[in-house]
Amino acid sequence: MPNISSLNTPLSAMRAQRQILDVTARNIANATTPGYHRQRVDLSNPNTTGVGGVGGNNGVDVSGVTRSADTLILGRVATEEGGRAAADTTAATLKRIEELFPEPTDHGLSAKLDAYWAAWTQVANNPGNMTARSALLSKAGTVVDALHRGVQDLTTVADNAKARMAGIASEVNDLTARLVTFNQTVASQPNPSADLLDQRDQLITDLTKLTGAVTKITDTGEVNVFIGGRQVVGGGYAAQVEASTGTLRFVGDNQVVLMTSGEGASVAATITDVVPRYIAALDDIASTLVTTVNTLHVAGYGQDSVSGRNFFDPTATTAATIAISADVAGQPSKIGAGEPKMPGPTAPGVLDGEQARKLAALASSATGASTKYQTMIGSLSVESNSATQRAAVQATIADNAVRDADSVGSVSIDEEMTQMMEAQRAFQAASKVLGTVDEMLGFLIERIGR
Amino acid sequence: MRITNSMMLRSTMRDVGQSLSRYQQTQAKVTSGNAITTGSDDPAGTTTALSIRRELSQLDQRSRSITDAQGWVNAADSQLDIMTTRMNRAKELTVASGNAITNMTPAARQAIATELRSIRSDLLNAANSTYAGRPLFAGTAAGPAYSSTGVYQGNDDPVVRDVAPSTTMTINVTGNEVFGASGVGAGSLFEVLDRLATAIEGGNTAGIDTERANLSTAFDRVQAAASNIGTKQNALEALDTRAKNDKQTLTSRLSDVEDVDLIESIVKAKAEETSYQAAVQMAAKALPVSLLDYLR
Repeated sequence: MPNISSLNTPLSAMRAQRQILDVTARNIANATTPGYHRQRVDLSNPNTTGVGGVGGNNGVDVSGVTRSADTLILGRVATEEGGRAAADTTAATLKRIEELFPEPTDHGLSAKLDAYWAAWTQVANNPGNMTARSALLSKAGTVVDALHRGVQDLTTVADNAKARMAGIASEVNDLTARLVTFNQTVASQPNPSADLLDQRDQLITDLTKLTGAVTKITDTGEVNVFIGGRQVVGGGYAAQVEASTGTLRFVGDNQVVLMTSGEGASVAATITDVVPRYIAALDDIASTLVTTVNTLHVAGYGQDSVSGRNFFDPTATTAATIAISADVAGQPSKIGAGEPKMPGPTAPGVLDGEQARKLAALASSATGASTKYQTMIGSLSVESNSATQRAAVQATIADNAVRDADSVGSVSIDEEMTQMMEAQRAFQAASKVLGTVDEMLGFLIERIGR
Repeated sequence: MRITNSMMLRSTMRDVGQSLSRYQQTQAKVTSGNAITTGSDDPAGTTTALSIRRELSQLDQRSRSITDAQGWVNAADSQLDIMTTRMNRAKELTVASGNAITNMTPAARQAIATELRSIRSDLLNAANSTYAGRPLFAGTAAGPAYSSTGVYQGNDDPVVRDVAPSTTMTINVTGNEVFGASGVGAGSLFEVLDRLATAIEGGNTAGIDTERANLSTAFDRVQAAASNIGTKQNALEALDTRAKNDKQTLTSRLSDVEDVDLIESIVKAKAEETSYQAAVQMAAKALPVSLLDYLR
């Protein structure tokens, strides 16, 4: 004979199933939300008497809503995403730099240098020809312009990286501030909801993507964040960072934030290593060009039988400053194509082009500007190629980590449908029980009341 | 492993994207014809291509130098040819006059002397000839090689051209080499002709004999210069052929490195297109399927 409490049992079941349906609906709604983990309603049987289900509470309890997430895998995702951000940024930067030096083409610096050396041969063959001499000056101008532009373009790459670094600094400050807010919430409400945990994990992943930060979660659920071994978030405290001298520094003591991974590490490397390295390579090319050409040219004699002139300005030996010397600029007849006659030295015949021939031979010098540029392009190609490959490998690793995390946490429509049907059926069954109990009681009341 | 819809979506998107990107890369190669679009496509190939391009540029310069040298040497050769003809005439005249000089009337001797002087002037003109505005026989001086009185104004410096890798060739012969230097031995050809004309005018038999011998020496000198130039012509011809062959070799080597193997790439592009289509088709089939399709 059921007693009145039998009415409560199906009621609790109906409540529980409705809650399951709620969570299913939310899972489906968030199926594509980044960082969302599927949630489950935890049910438990509150009956502790355990005697044949008679007496006590025979219903079902909703003990909570939990998310399926594996913190270990999530940590891996954050780390690998940091690696991916760094590798992708580096590969993209190097590709950009490669585009600045289009080789092998007919319009790269290499072709321009070749044309410059060729112009010297033309002068050597026709020392008295002003057209050949003017052409030489204009080819030299092309090389000078190309070097100037190379430095400008590289500087632009660094400037863009600096702007991005400022963006990273403010993003980092924002993320750490929000993690502090989370810590404060946890301190006041020890059991954070699944949604809050999702938000926390998303913040951590974002921060790691930017800086390669390492996160530790304490027993109390608070988040501690370290970058390069130094704590940036702990409890209610967040260290402020700022972009300065091409990297992130802590506000206050001005120490460098030692990023080992993440976009920030790559951007910092662009500003402090990659761009300066290629500017230095261009400077080396420029100074080699100035020195080798001037050494020969100073000895050479112009059409006016005067020697001692520089071809390039000897005081401007960087790629940004290299310039044709005022000795010859706009004065093609003063180009020192004539070889000094020894002993002496005395001026050679006006139509002597031997010095120009020697200058043209610099084209194939193993220590000359052309060879140095070729070496620079070689190492740029190798660096960019390996960065692209590293980015591809890192992408696979990161994708695998994401896949593992998804395998645990992502929403499966099939599962949710099954869950929905299960809940629906259970709800229907519980209401059937309720109906039956109601019918039985009604029957009883009817009979007795007659 | 638990597989969910979003995982499938993500991996499908990645795979289709990769497939399309591979297809696009091959297609770009086929349409541009370049195997190397940026250096990182093939770092080793890039440096090789740069080296070959540099070699080609230098080869072009050498080819131009050879062509220029050929023009120069041919011009010198034809001038030396003219000189030989004129000097032969001078020799004939002196042989004729030498035998019968004492029997000749002053007017006849005068006529011979006049012709000799005209030959001298022709030779002087030939000696002052130029190639592309440069005097052929004045060394590196601006020219003209000889003054109207037959004084050498040039120098003895060589005119040099790069004709092969680290090989140079002196393409000029100087006035002193061809015509003899003034003040050395019998002096220059022009001085010899001057003295010869004067001797014939004056009927100076001893003078005529001396100068005839001198003229013969001068003739030999011009001949030697002509054969020297002839040797250079042959050498330049050979070098020109070699430079052309080298250019062909280098161009085909550059093409091997830089240009796309069309047949291979088109086949590859076709295969990639097929694989892309398969990936898209598979995605279109698999992605929309879920339990929802079977629930009523």
